[in-house]
Amino acid sequence: MNGGLTKHLNIIDYTLSSLWRRRARNASVLIVFAGVIFLVASFQFVTEALTETALDSLRTAPEITIQRLSAGRQTEVPLDYGEQVASIHGVREVVPRIWGYYFDEVTGANLTVIGVDLERMPLGEKLNLTLAEGEVPEPGASGWVLVGRSIKRIVESKGTAYLSLFRPDLSQASYAITGVFDAVTDVLTNDLIVMDIGDARDLFHISPAAATDLCVYVANLEEVPNIARKIAAALPDARVLTRSQISQTYQVVFGWRSGFASVCLLTALAAFVIFAWDKASGLSPEERREITILKILGWETSDILAVRFWEGALVAGGAFIAGCTGAYIHVAYFDASLFRSVMVGWSVIHPSLRLVPSLQVSTLLLIFCFTVLPYMAATVIPAWRSAIVPTDSALSGM
Amino acid sequence: MSPVSDKVLRRPLHVLVLLLACLAAVHAVLYSHYRHRLAEYEARSDLRQIATAALGLSDLCIATEARYTRHPAASDAVVPFMDHPGAIEHFPTGSFWAPPIPGGIREVGK
Amino acid sequence: MLIELEGVTKIYNQGQINEVVALRDIDLRIKEHTLNCLRGASGCGKSTLLSIIGCVIQPTSGRTAIAGLQPARMPDRFLTVHRRRCIGFIFQNYNILPALTVRENITLPLVPLGLSRRAMAERVERLLQQFSIGHRGNFPAGRISGGELQRVAIARALVNDPPPSSWQTNPRPISTAV
Repeated sequence: MNGGLTKHLNIIDYTLSSLWRRRARNASVLIVFAGVIFLVASFQFVTEALTETALDSLRTAPEITIQRLSAGRQTEVPLDYGEQVASIHGVREVVPRIWGYYFDEVTGANLTVIGVDLERMPLGEKLNLTLAEGEVPEPGASGWVLVGRSIKRIVESKGTAYLSLFRPDLSQASYAITGVFDAVTDVLTNDLIVMDIGDARDLFHISPAAATDLCVYVANLEEVPNIARKIAAALPDARVLTRSQISQTYQVVFGWRSGFASVCLLTALAAFVIFAWDKASGLSPEERREITILKILGWETSDILAVRFWEGALVAGGAFIAGCTGAYIHVAYFDASLFRSVMVGWSVIHPSLRLVPSLQVSTLLLIFCFTVLPYMAATVIPAWRSAIVPTDSALSGM
Repeated sequence: MSPVSDKVLRRPLHVLVLLLACLAAVHAVLYSHYRHRLAEYEARSDLRQIATAALGLSDLCIATEARYTRHPAASDAVVPFMDHPGAIEHFPTGSFWAPPIPGGIREVGK
Repeated sequence: MLIELEGVTKIYNQGQINEVVALRDIDLRIKEHTLNCLRGASGCGKSTLLSIIGCVIQPTSGRTAIAGLQPARMPDRFLTVHRRRCIGFIFQNYNILPALTVRENITLPLVPLGLSRRAMAERVERLLQQFSIGHRGNFPAGRISGGELQRVAIARALVNDPPPSSWQTNPRPISTAV
């Protein structure tokens, strides 16, 4: 066998046995380090998967959504606004929509109610495809609802066939569940109650001349920012939301800026600083002695560095592989269960996320650069500093 | 020549290689399952897009506890503090979800 | 001549307040295949002289030739190679790594030589038998008696003898006791 290769293999052997000799210490370093990487990688995986899902699923969101603000809060939009908007050149269609929250006192769940005229919505005729059971009723029918899987479960747990909701005056409204959304769309529809727009007006006591928001569709997508600006100028009290703004929101909403992410990062940073401190504060006297003896026995500086390099590479690489694998399993198979409590908080309704973490080389590289490389540097540099000292001065004190 | 027992000749490197082979096998299984799930996910993505278009949705349904985390896109950075003067944000999800980008359409294109 | 020293002087901490002149103007010639012993009072410079012969330290002035090479003209890297080819060390305190086994300690000088695992094991095995420490091979060096430790140190100093075939033109290793 090639002498250089054999020599390197011998050095790796030596490294492995010295790692094994200090197995308790190395294993604890590896476990803590893997834990840090697990935390960072889990967060990165889960947020990337969520962002990706959002960007993919919300690609067909209304081109422009108009809401009205009063005293900083969202209120009803008069349908006159819709007529004004429709008169702007380039607007193809304006569809009013009722949209609100319903608090279910029995389960403590917040439900989202959407009243919509499916005939006027894009792809409204295809909504049947997203239902796991039942179907969308004929246009003009009323008293029906399409519900997300969690709502179906709540209704079933109450033992009734109908969904009963209370109007603001506490009178009861009952709806027949004609369809349940597929689990595939859970991440969008889990807490939804979709009903006819007239039923929704009746439920929330909203006047027929108003809606909660207007979905605006334009003829030329290039014109969306211009039209949005025109709408904003024409309706000063309106909040105008474009599809690209929705995408932008979802690109940052799960970012490292959030409080939880900062805490994660700080923990990781603290753990790392402790490592770096331990390593950079120099080698222990035993390690220094070992390096000196090896040098006298004929080891070159590069051989000693190779030992330290492999030591660092094996510990950090092992921790990286273990941490990332753990994070992937955590996110893909356990729906990021450790983060669930901060992702959904006190929510009563939990969608099954079925996250598919995006395994991008860039993500792994990012995690690698922030964890393994500094560790390697912290391992090799002190050894290099002590290995380049001539044996002359290293011997003194022996 | 003095006899050398096989035990002395056993290399730690072989253990490492064995370990790496096991890891590679585990990862191969995980990866193939990942490809499978990804294909399945992508195949069903049109269903989600139909739901979004037909219902005019703007947000993912992940956290339902607070309005501003249920619909972050249709919300403001100040919404958590809107309920009364001096309100503090108390929903746990507020710590996971970063506030939406400030500024509305009036900034677009400026 | 295996070892030649001419006018070797070694001054530690030169120019500083704690300056020590350890050797002054030493001439020394040692032939191959001889056994030599250096005696002297404590602190008279024996260790310094042996360290210079062992290419561990460089003299402040003077000329040295060790096994045909002049260490003063060689960079540290080549000295290391020279040391492991030609010189074996036994230290006063043996400088055995206590956490390693006896066998591993003796193997240490062989690791960077690029020998096969079997070749290394055979050499170490022969020395273990030769010094009657075979039964201690797998003991951590920190747990064996002082006499055994001494024999481990000697075995380690001799383990790179004979040098690999490609180096057989080199002189036989020198053993230095420091």
